[in-house]
Amino acid sequence: MKTETVAMILAGGQGSRLGKLTKTIAKPAVPFGGNYRIIDFALSNCANSGFNHVGVVTQYQPLVLNTHVGNGSSWGLNRHNGGATILQPYSSVDGEKFFKGTAHAIYQNIDYIDQKNPDYVVILSGDHIYKMDYEKMLDYHKRKAASLTVGVMPVPWEETSRFGVMNTDRTDRIIEFQEKPENAKSNLASMGIYIFDWPRLKQYLVDNQSKNRQMEDFGHHVIPAYLRNSESIYAYSFEGYWKDVGTIESLWSANMEFLDPEHELNIRDRKWRVYSKNPNTTPQFLTETAKVSDSMITDGCYIAGEINHSVLSHNVKVGKGSVVTDSVIMPNVVIGENVRIEKAIIGEGAHIYDDAELIGTESDIAVAGYKEEVGGYSDEK
Amino acid sequence: MRNRLAPILNLVEHTGKLKPLTDRRPVASLPFACRYRLIDFPFSSLYNAEAVSAALFIAGSGHSLYDHIRSGSTWGLDSFAGGGVFTHSQVKLKSDQNVESKYDKFYYEDHYNYVTRSKAEYVVMMGSSFLSNIQLESVLHFHEDKNSQVTVVYKQVNREELVEDTVYTALNLNNGETDTVKGIEPVSGMASGTKLNVNMEMMLLSKKVFLDYLFRAKQHDMDISVNTFIQFTLDSNESVNAYEYTGYLRVIEDVKSYFDANMDMLDQDNFNALFYRADPVRTRAKNSAPTYYGEEAVIENAQFANDCEVYGTVRNSVIFRKVSIEKGSVIEDSIIMQDSCIEEDVTLKHVILDKHVYVMKGAKLEGTPDNPIVIAKNSVVYPEGITKEG
Repeated sequence: MKTETVAMILAGGQGSRLGKLTKTIAKPAVPFGGNYRIIDFALSNCANSGFNHVGVVTQYQPLVLNTHVGNGSSWGLNRHNGGATILQPYSSVDGEKFFKGTAHAIYQNIDYIDQKNPDYVVILSGDHIYKMDYEKMLDYHKRKAASLTVGVMPVPWEETSRFGVMNTDRTDRIIEFQEKPENAKSNLASMGIYIFDWPRLKQYLVDNQSKNRQMEDFGHHVIPAYLRNSESIYAYSFEGYWKDVGTIESLWSANMEFLDPEHELNIRDRKWRVYSKNPNTTPQFLTETAKVSDSMITDGCYIAGEINHSVLSHNVKVGKGSVVTDSVIMPNVVIGENVRIEKAIIGEGAHIYDDAELIGTESDIAVAGYKEEVGGYSDEK
Repeated sequence: MRNRLAPILNLVEHTGKLKPLTDRRPVASLPFACRYRLIDFPFSSLYNAEAVSAALFIAGSGHSLYDHIRSGSTWGLDSFAGGGVFTHSQVKLKSDQNVESKYDKFYYEDHYNYVTRSKAEYVVMMGSSFLSNIQLESVLHFHEDKNSQVTVVYKQVNREELVEDTVYTALNLNNGETDTVKGIEPVSGMASGTKLNVNMEMMLLSKKVFLDYLFRAKQHDMDISVNTFIQFTLDSNESVNAYEYTGYLRVIEDVKSYFDANMDMLDQDNFNALFYRADPVRTRAKNSAPTYYGEEAVIENAQFANDCEVYGTVRNSVIFRKVSIEKGSVIEDSIIMQDSCIEEDVTLKHVILDKHVYVMKGAKLEGTPDNPIVIAKNSVVYPEGITKEG
């Protein structure tokens, strides 16, 4: 069977605004919602949309991400000759091929896409929390006979200056693109989701590269070039939950929203599952002294303390007398006894010693980094 | 580590006293501790000893087992290099249909083919009724150190730890530098208070000895079992060396022992002994969401798997995946298996709900610690106490 579509997930970004949390892991690998990592949403969307040829482009601190994604078997992608393929920068006779931008990352991986020889390439970001049927967008792309379709969603007018904004005509054709505009003419923001006709995109990338014209970024270079040449570009509107968890505060609030059993994402929907790599671990053990309320807890946890309105990932230990409130606890965290944690994000593998306190506010969430140790003995003089 | 073991799992086990839990599944498929099945324990021992294949002999269709095992990849049994799960089902049907002898010739041939085709040096025979976490590497070292003909595994227990009319046996040991077996005797006749060495029906022996015994068993139309082979060894005046296991053990023989084994896990020492040791217990990964505990949920000393939604009170209980417990309900000293749904204001005490049981609003079920109520798979429980197959 011919491969119609290859999905390329751009997962090389650092997510520097996540501070300590992405010091040693890439943003798409940051744990989310107890059982997941951010990239699981894009990967599950691919699986549920029937796209099982998925290139995952990694660059910044890729170890955790690469281990997580593997061959894509956790998402059921490794069937019928498909699967997830990790694409990392490499060196060749032309020099080192580090990725300078979103489009450049695709240019450097032309060989991978050509090996599959698809009609369409779907470009996705590994940074967002959402459920979306890409197949519907592909159908739209075919119906419009588009050369490029951009996934857009309406955002509040006052936030348009944070996004790339698409100005469309009455047929949804994109006639103008404004990158982070002061005075936006439209409130349709690009979600960083593109469907390209592959032969045409390849031509743009290769031709411009050979003429030494900059073609490194989709927003800055590729879309403006497409517009200049009157390519048919259409906007595909998405309405549903979509969240960029690019900052500590947005990551925290997205987790808090996720706690709501009535949350729009409907994580328990069997018809559109969000898959993840499931660790081999024990049941959740809540002891006689445990108190849990309005919280999500994951397998492998051992809880002897009090958990209020919080999200706990797998293998978290919470000792007696400790109280965790309005917080996000990532995998393999150990919290000792009589610890107070409030409005905080505790990074993967962190250790919070007995009697320590980590208290944030809604506008200033407290953070413990990846494998950070908090509390314990003070330094002796 | 290089693969040294050809494991044979005899899963034709005693299911009679476990009904209705074993109506449609062998002992090996019994769900345990929120997210496991009993087969996970011998399979994890194989995984930790880096075995690459296993032969399974199953009394019935094995449907529920195959669904759980799939390719065997969870336990490293799907390797291109000599790997595979070799299943032999309907052992009971085939032997019942055979009028001239107890077993048909394929019973012996299947064992022969598996063992001769494996590159491993040793055969290990085990089952799933002896819930434990055995380190096969230690058994192997013991076997080689002692230069054994055969090695069997036992644990010293009190008579009370086995059920009154148990079908299992104890080893009579010669206590020397190495414990050797004098003989085996049934446990059922022993007085309470006796300390005994329960025969865990697990044996390690070289391929050569196994094949020799296999021919003898075929000649005499006997079971290929640990007990037969102990007898063969003693008859040949060879010594049966006994390896003492000191970890957690529960013999799953009836509903009560099954219930107790699950309740054992609520004791942290038992839980740690079985799960938190160097060798992990592995089970098939399933995709799931975290468990949600509502604002009014009250939980005391209980275990849960992922994907539950809990709004009621749960004490001293073991809750499997995808169970929902609505507000006002109180679950105590109970086991609730996967996909069960408990509506509002339900009371359950000393109850086992098999998979996919629906308990209607206001229903009340109370068993006793010695006689827990078992509700069969797919039943609906009404407040009037009527239950019927859904």
